[in-house]
Amino acid sequence: MRSQSGTAAPERTDDPKEHNQTIRPRDLLTKEDHLEIFKLLFLARYFDVRLIKEKKRGRLRGTLYSSHNQEAVLVGCLYGLRPDDWISPIHRDMPAFFLKDIKFKWDDPARMGMSIEELCAQVWGKAGSPGRARDNWSHIGSKSKHIIHSTSMLSGTIPAAAGVVYADRLNGGDVIAMTLNGEGSTAQGIFHEAINFAAVHKLPVVTIIENNHWAYGTPTHMEYSQEDFARRADGYGIMGLVADGQDVLDVYDKVMMAVNHSRAGNGPSIVECKTFRAYGHGDHDDDRAAKYRPEAEILKGRERDPIGVYRQYLLEKGYISPEDAKLYIAENKGAGEVGNEDFPPEVVAYLSKGIDYALTCPVPEAEEGGMWVFKEGGR
Amino acid sequence: MSATVDVPAQVGVKKNYLTALKEALFEEMSLNPHMICQGEDIGILGGAFGVTEGLQAQYGAQRVIDMPISEACIVGSAVGMALNGKTVMAEMQFIDFISCGFDQIVNMMATYHYRTAGEVNIPVVVRGPAGAYGGGALYHSQMNESWFCNSPGLKVICASTPSDAKGLLKTALRDGNPVISYEIKELYRRNDIAEVLPDEDYTVPFGKAAIRKAGKDITLVSYGQNVYHCIQAADELEKLGVSAEVIDIRTLVPLDEETIFNSVAKTNRVIVVNEAPMTCGFAGEIVSRISTKAFDLLDAPPVRITRLDTPVPWVKPLELFVLPSVEKIVQAALKTVKY
Ligand SMILES: Cc1ncc(C[n+]2csc(CCOP(=O)(O)OP(=O)(O)O)c2C)c(N)n1
Ligand SMILES: [Mg+2]
Repeated sequence: MRSQSGTAAPERTDDPKEHNQTIRPRDLLTKEDHLEIFKLLFLARYFDVRLIKEKKRGRLRGTLYSSHNQEAVLVGCLYGLRPDDWISPIHRDMPAFFLKDIKFKWDDPARMGMSIEELCAQVWGKAGSPGRARDNWSHIGSKSKHIIHSTSMLSGTIPAAAGVVYADRLNGGDVIAMTLNGEGSTAQGIFHEAINFAAVHKLPVVTIIENNHWAYGTPTHMEYSQEDFARRADGYGIMGLVADGQDVLDVYDKVMMAVNHSRAGNGPSIVECKTFRAYGHGDHDDDRAAKYRPEAEILKGRERDPIGVYRQYLLEKGYISPEDAKLYIAENKGAGEVGNEDFPPEVVAYLSKGIDYALTCPVPEAEEGGMWVFKEGGR
Repeated sequence: MSATVDVPAQVGVKKNYLTALKEALFEEMSLNPHMICQGEDIGILGGAFGVTEGLQAQYGAQRVIDMPISEACIVGSAVGMALNGKTVMAEMQFIDFISCGFDQIVNMMATYHYRTAGEVNIPVVVRGPAGAYGGGALYHSQMNESWFCNSPGLKVICASTPSDAKGLLKTALRDGNPVISYEIKELYRRNDIAEVLPDEDYTVPFGKAAIRKAGKDITLVSYGQNVYHCIQAADELEKLGVSAEVIDIRTLVPLDEETIFNSVAKTNRVIVVNEAPMTCGFAGEIVSRISTKAFDLLDAPPVRITRLDTPVPWVKPLELFVLPSVEKIVQAALKTVKY
């Protein structure tokens, strides 16, 4: 489904297939890619449910903004990026930090994504965090790994993303910058001010709108007068696509169309991924969310779990056997209902390694609170 | 190329504040190929006041960018450019409009070095014309520097002379930290303060105040436009037998406390003058530092002469009513020396 409006996606003309069928980005994925993507969905889900459990046991400070049920958005957005592309995740995107540049090289220290050790050290507030735990949770990044450090200010990194790629273009580069945002955040002035600037300069800023239909306690019809948030693109004459956020391949298709379009110099693009928020806004809000959200909506949302949707696809395509398909069932279950046995062992091992590191890591020295206000020694 | 650039310093020729700023930008743009200038109307037009006249013709539209009217994006995109290796001069058409970029400045830019534990630094200078006394009314007259002095991670500067305007701006562009520069638009084209600027590539360091007039009975601390009110007041006081020392702090963050304390050690009396409103203004900060760190030096209560706690009104009598004046400084000084 493409939004009614917005610039049309570039159609491929080098179509080798009969029937004159357009090749979609997914058509270029191999069986190995599909199996890897499947595993990454488990990895993102496991990260979330494990943290929910750790949080419930009182082991973590701050707020956990669950990405449960939104994993297809994260995996689908990040899988096709180049290692040197920039990303800017927000509060609900914790798995994005390790999902960047992860495919087939989870443990490679040279990859342009955050290691699970670094990320866990951040979540546990330890000195091994890339930001030495100075700000909480998702407010981290890495200049060398091309992850823009976000603040709490919603949509606040979109101008930085535009600046990053402006500088890159000036240097003759061709990276893109992908910013991830909730649908509620699109009402911020800076969202529009930055995309307007990017459109004027045809900068490759790909803005993902994770439409989980709630902004904290406010439903979408109180946030925006249109059905599709992708229509935000219309005012800037840029590409605006809508993806089924529960279907990782649809996300992948739309996002790669947008990425290719933007990288080729056609200006910024927006991809709205329609998804569903499984819990409260944050873990502090779970009890209240149960009251302000209609039960029927919650049940309906859980029906299309991204892991289940993809499992079905893989089965139909024959990428997994019916026997293998029964091995690990993590979908359609709440965080309290799944256990380690519902996940592939390498997924459990990967995160456990990160947590083990975080637990042995020291808390930063108190004096660090007074450090790094200014850089010494000039530019 | 229609640029008329008066960059090469001509020996013996006096230059005004605006020309000094312009020279700083031209020189830094040629010394630093990774420098970008951006702001509203700064390219084709050359800036509302002409500070960037000729810059785009010389360095091209990619490095001298006419930005859409969005202060937030001017600052925010500069932060991204800086994250990716650039140094950016971001012009606010009037410093009053900086409020529209406030979040990007205080939350995104100012904190970047801190929250990344030193991994990232942001060499961005946000500069713009500031100050009252010109009939600019509420939204073209502000001195809102205390907002940013109260936001850790920003350096805040305010030049009062052409040589400082150039030297401080060059220091700012090489500092590596975000700097907010308050330029005094009423001084831009004042011929009586024009100066011969050094021929060589020079800078003026941050955190080093200037003594504009030496004295022994009372210290007048100020910055920006009010420095001239203080000098004039000191001249009048001299006729009345009172010797006033005038200190121009030049940079608010960092602040040169030593020069202030040394002066107060000599005079034991102090008046701080600035044109921002009094409550939570920077004059209060200076008085507080003197009171807490140099209390024993004082023989009289320190005095603040600031704008009243009002906006800046438009028509002249009203505007002058709310602002510091030579007369107000003289009267306060006479009272303080008799205390
Ligand atoms: C500028 C700003 N205003 C308010 C908030 C508080 N806040 C944090 S998340 C949030 C809701 C965001 O909704 P949405 O953008 O849809 O993202 P979601 O949480 O649904 O993923 C709010 C209001 C904030 N962080 N920043
Ligand atoms: Mg939302």
